[in-house]
Amino acid sequence: MRILIIEDDREAANYIRKGLKESGHVVDHAADGEEGLAMGRSAEYDILVVDRMLPKLDGLSVIESLRDEGVSSPVLILSALGEVDHRVEGLKAGGDDYLVKPYAFAELLARIEALARRRDPEAVRTKLVVGDMEMDLLARTVVRGGEAILLQPREFRLLEFLMKHSGQVVTRTMLLEKVWDYHFDPQTNVIDVHISRLRSKIDKPFDEALLHTVRGAGYRLQA
Amino acid sequence: MKRRMPSFVRTTAFRLTLLSAGLFALSSFLILAFVYAASAGAAMRRTDAVIMDEFAAVERRFEESGIDGVNRYILQRTVGGSDFLYLLINPNGRLLSGNLNGMPDALPNDAGWMDFVYGRAPVDDEADERDSRRARARLVEIGSGYSVFVGVDFEDEDRLIGRLLRAILVASALVIALGIASGVVVSRRFSRRLDAINTVSRTVMGGDLSHRAPRNGSGDELDELSANFNAMLERLEELMQRMRNVGDSIAHDLRSPLTRMRNRMEDALRDDGNRQSRQAALEQALNDSDELLGVFNAILSISRIEAGERRDSFKHFDPAPVVSDMGELYEPVCEDSGHSFGMQVEPNMRVFGDRSLLSQGIANMLDNAIKYTPEGGGIQLRLRRCSDGRAELSVTDTGPGIPEIDRVRVTQRFVRLEKSRNQPGSGLGLSLVKAIADVHGAVLRLDDGAGGVDGHGPGLRIAIIFPTGE
Repeated sequence: MRILIIEDDREAANYIRKGLKESGHVVDHAADGEEGLAMGRSAEYDILVVDRMLPKLDGLSVIESLRDEGVSSPVLILSALGEVDHRVEGLKAGGDDYLVKPYAFAELLARIEALARRRDPEAVRTKLVVGDMEMDLLARTVVRGGEAILLQPREFRLLEFLMKHSGQVVTRTMLLEKVWDYHFDPQTNVIDVHISRLRSKIDKPFDEALLHTVRGAGYRLQA
Repeated sequence: MKRRMPSFVRTTAFRLTLLSAGLFALSSFLILAFVYAASAGAAMRRTDAVIMDEFAAVERRFEESGIDGVNRYILQRTVGGSDFLYLLINPNGRLLSGNLNGMPDALPNDAGWMDFVYGRAPVDDEADERDSRRARARLVEIGSGYSVFVGVDFEDEDRLIGRLLRAILVASALVIALGIASGVVVSRRFSRRLDAINTVSRTVMGGDLSHRAPRNGSGDELDELSANFNAMLERLEELMQRMRNVGDSIAHDLRSPLTRMRNRMEDALRDDGNRQSRQAALEQALNDSDELLGVFNAILSISRIEAGERRDSFKHFDPAPVVSDMGELYEPVCEDSGHSFGMQVEPNMRVFGDRSLLSQGIANMLDNAIKYTPEGGGIQLRLRRCSDGRAELSVTDTGPGIPEIDRVRVTQRFVRLEKSRNQPGSGLGLSLVKAIADVHGAVLRLDDGAGGVDGHGPGLRIAIIFPTGE
């Protein structure tokens, strides 16, 4: 993927750039808002990573300008401001996801890859398939290897999210935000418990595990 | 800032007193000046009337007994001294009789009146009797070419008016002097009391917060100022103390993980060759730094909540679904950690606030309960309507509980009771709950829980009681 990072902190930018390059992405870097706007206009990027506070032109204005000019690439906003209001502002300005500093690199990577996936032309799907597991979004049913799996509504939504992002790493914070809509970190690992319950329903009776734990990052559903 | 004690002249009290004394002096001066003008004018008019009466008398004599009669009348009137002045002048301009040496050389005014000064030998043995005296007169032709000059000596009246004028001036001067004197006295008293307050405030600025402004108990405005000033100092001292505590706690809570992290890194550096242990050390250091960031984030959150930033976006909502969702999220967690979990949620109540903050508060209460309740214990999440209609959200556990004397303290930042010091955590969980309760105008109550059985502690019941009304 071709990624543009607009971030004035050189060290932070290098840290992101290095990590993303190692994951096989092509990365450009702009050090202030004006430069970032110019670069975002001139070339086609798959993802833009924009720091909220930038010299010359702030991040939200950059995103608004790019959106006005028809640039539709997904935007991930990085910010030290993490309150609900700040998130809402960021998403209103045209951002697609919002990551609060400080963050782990694994979190950033997982979110970038999730955003990129969203760009794929996603027609209205009524069926999700991972390996021998099938989810029917209309009938709200899950079947694996011909056997129906009974899920609670929340478990269903959790699995739906994992299946939509199958093959990708999904972090605990992402799950808490997207499945439960909570934007804070509980001290207890609540997500791990829910994942283990889900795992006991979808994996335990079968030989092959679909739901994998990715050390230091999160989970991945993969056949 | 070194500044000498202000002299009383510069004080507001002195200036105000001086101003009022000045205004009083001015007004009394104006009143007295009016009295003077009125009485001086009246004296003049009376003099004129007396002179005109006298002319009438002279003219009557002239009609009755001719010029000789007038001459006799004048002699009769002037013998033995008189305040009246006469001159009888014949057609040739010669003086026939009278008690003046000659016509004064003053010119008559438009109305025919002459004001002049004439000499008169001292009549009595009054030593201070002046030689020159003031008079007013008029010349009238009475017939056959004869003229009569009639005047009145008003030196005595003049002197009386002069004395009146002097008295007015002296009185005005006295009023001003008294004003200044009372200004000095009042301002000295006032500034002495203000100086006491100023001295205290300078001492406090110098860093000693224990001083207090003196009070005299009179309840006047200065006394009230002192009282408010003291209350302010009280609050300041409390805040300073709390800040110092927070500083100490931060030092305590952050120093240990920081030191741990540092030691691990140092170890890893020394430990040459062993890749595996270096990897482990790095992972540990990462965990330590995450823990530190967690503490910082919690501090930041609490400050934001305490600042009330979110209050603008508060809405009315039914807390029941928020509580149920949180219960649903935590139920498996409680069961996995060996606690029984119960939830009772009463629907259809209204609170005014922020759903997300409320969720966060419940999460913290449940985290706290899970952390401190031993395995096999019970945790109960409850939302109910109090008898007075208020919504009460509570989490009850069967853990060790919190002794009554510590209950206020644990909601302060960073306070962790000694026995829990070795447990992981920022010590910020309950302070966050407290901040969330405060920003909702709710009451936070800590009580003994439902424990006390099966060897468990008394347990802890944390309740947030929301205010009623819209």
